[in-house]
Amino acid sequence: MPHDIIMPALGMAQDTGVLVRWIKQPGEAVAEGDALFEVETDKATMEVEAQSAGYLTQVTAQAGDNVPVGQVIAQISESASDTAAPTSMQPASASETPPEGHEIIMPALGMAQDTGLLVSWQKAPGDAVAADDVLFEVETDKSTVEVAAGFDGFVAALLAEAGDNVPVGEVVAVISAEKPTAASRSARSKPPSAAKAPAAPAPEPVASKPSPAPAITQKAKPATMSGRILASPKLRRLAAAQGLDLDILRRAGVPEPYHAKDLTQLIQLSSRATTSAATIAAARRITAQVPSEGFSAFAAWAHESAGISDSVALLAGLLAGSLRQDDSDIIVAVENYGATTHYHNPDRPRLGQAKALAADGTPSIILRDMRISHISSVTMGAEEAPVITILPADTGLGLILECSAAQLSASGALDCLQKFAARLAEPLNHIL
Amino acid sequence: MREITLSQAVNEAIAEEMRRDASVFIIGEDVAEAGTPFKVLSGLVEEFGTDRVIDTPIAEPGFMGIAVGAAMTGSRPIVDLMFGDFIFLIMDQLCNQAAKTHYMSGGKLNVPLVLRTNLGATRRSAAQHSQSLHALVAHIPGLKVAMPSSALEAKGLMKTAIRDNNPVVIFEDKLMYQDKAEVPEGEFLIPFGVANVKRQGTDITLIGTSSMVQVCEKAAEILAAEGISAEVIDPRTIVPLDEETLLASARKTSRVIVVDEGHQSYGITGEIASRINEKAFYYLDAPVLRMGAMDVPIPFSPALEDITVPTPETVAANARKLCSGEMIHAA
Repeated sequence: MPHDIIMPALGMAQDTGVLVRWIKQPGEAVAEGDALFEVETDKATMEVEAQSAGYLTQVTAQAGDNVPVGQVIAQISESASDTAAPTSMQPASASETPPEGHEIIMPALGMAQDTGLLVSWQKAPGDAVAADDVLFEVETDKSTVEVAAGFDGFVAALLAEAGDNVPVGEVVAVISAEKPTAASRSARSKPPSAAKAPAAPAPEPVASKPSPAPAITQKAKPATMSGRILASPKLRRLAAAQGLDLDILRRAGVPEPYHAKDLTQLIQLSSRATTSAATIAAARRITAQVPSEGFSAFAAWAHESAGISDSVALLAGLLAGSLRQDDSDIIVAVENYGATTHYHNPDRPRLGQAKALAADGTPSIILRDMRISHISSVTMGAEEAPVITILPADTGLGLILECSAAQLSASGALDCLQKFAARLAEPLNHIL
Repeated sequence: MREITLSQAVNEAIAEEMRRDASVFIIGEDVAEAGTPFKVLSGLVEEFGTDRVIDTPIAEPGFMGIAVGAAMTGSRPIVDLMFGDFIFLIMDQLCNQAAKTHYMSGGKLNVPLVLRTNLGATRRSAAQHSQSLHALVAHIPGLKVAMPSSALEAKGLMKTAIRDNNPVVIFEDKLMYQDKAEVPEGEFLIPFGVANVKRQGTDITLIGTSSMVQVCEKAAEILAAEGISAEVIDPRTIVPLDEETLLASARKTSRVIVVDEGHQSYGITGEIASRINEKAFYYLDAPVLRMGAMDVPIPFSPALEDITVPTPETVAANARKLCSGEMIHAA
């Protein structure tokens, strides 16, 4: 029986992956463990391995495609000429109506995995959770993995129980923004029929955990890594005296056992954790719609009439102009599927003439250009600078500004996004 | 200061005490004209005569019993047990009689007896003459146990032992009799229960007894060259034990290895490690390691015998592990 190859979920908030290239060609023989293709996410490029031996067939996605997570992109068949149609992507059927909020699914931790054993819940219904908090542990045939909540909020419902073998993609928990009045814990209904795709995520896959490769989060399973943290009595005493949590070292992947010398790192990691928690807590997220964008036409005109070939520089210039309050330097970092380009004062002296620079220093604002994608919404949290994500919309464009309260005031954030939306709709607004 | 051998230091201490106190006498095999196989007591019979330096037949339980009785009735015998391994022969006289008489007589009787014997392997003396059996007697309440690590301690501890009103067992390392050290002439006593910090350090504490003090000092030299600062402590007496000095050092360095030539299992390394564990636990950054002789009869084969006991290299290797933060699965 052919095995479906799906686009794996490599990040918690990822719903598509860019297929960078195929390493194996259609019809080529593959062995279990061979790298099949490369996927790029906002964080990294990873090789995805074959989970069974056979021949690569039914390749439906090409290099450069932005493929929804869970979509079948090829098969591994027993013969090179297998023409059996790939299983179409099926949304998982959540058979209960869970409370409103972000749905957390059983992640696909391996390409050939269709269920995950829920080892334990680390949070109870009603608990407050931060995005980085471990929500539950999943055991696969390879390892036990801690799955982070992925969202800040409250546990509104736990829909599976420890010990359950849950189909990949099935919703196991709901995280709500508001503290739920009656958080529920209910056993999930019987798993859907086996005909469903092996690793199909929920329609809006809000949470999926790494597929095969990422060793960063996928911990090997020595006894030392589960249960009690291995630390010397001295370090425990010193950490306790300063109110530090040794789990921070473990979550950071620092190898155990821990000793007094690890205290310095613990202090650093702890202060960082506190800072990022504070940053997230004070996050701003504003969305805007540009029903009909005039930028594309403007860029085409600029290219033909003014010889401005770098449309990204134009885009950066419009954003710098939207952000500008005074004469201070503005560095716009434009992220485009992993490649980051910096522009120094791209609105000056003349729009579109700024030269792209290598990444250097802290940008004033980050522009994540996702116009060519299937992504409809993001909640990534604040970064080192305010981030504006441009997304495709049914007509025109969608804009999302995310920043911390410390980075932009409420009025400053609104003003910047308003101006940028206006410029994208009609670039001439830039000179008004 | 003049240097004398450990053998000369013991001889000098006993001679001084015999001159000072007429109730002190020596009893044992080959102690008079032979001056013991190690020539430790040479010359004493010439000065003090055969009434106070008494040769016995080969009958350890007999002369040990005589000595215990003599001690109860006002003498201060020094019993010479030719090899520490022979202690099994006198266990009743030592542990049931000497150790308990003061207690069981309601304090009416004292046993001011010194049992001089030895320990130590690597002399090619085979399994029945190479043991280090001090843990056997340290286990028995009522006995004090001294373990001199050089000629200096040999003299100072011997004089203190002879003046003690209770039974004291002194274990000398049979390989150290010719080792020299600076030793004060005349009156020089080392109190029991006072450890000697032989070398100051900050990263790890090496606690050694008897000849293992030298081993620890050599290990500390090796470690110093690698940037690891080892503190070396000689407890000098294991009963009474100077816990405070050991604990203070453990708290300071947070890592400890206890090195002793007795068999590792159920030995004094385990006792000392355990006390540090109980009383300095929250200061420890690594498990306290024991290093003793392997749990095998001491081999006669030189190649095997030499690897049976701790060496500077093996101590340094373990110290390196502890200081590196490596996961310790101590055997």
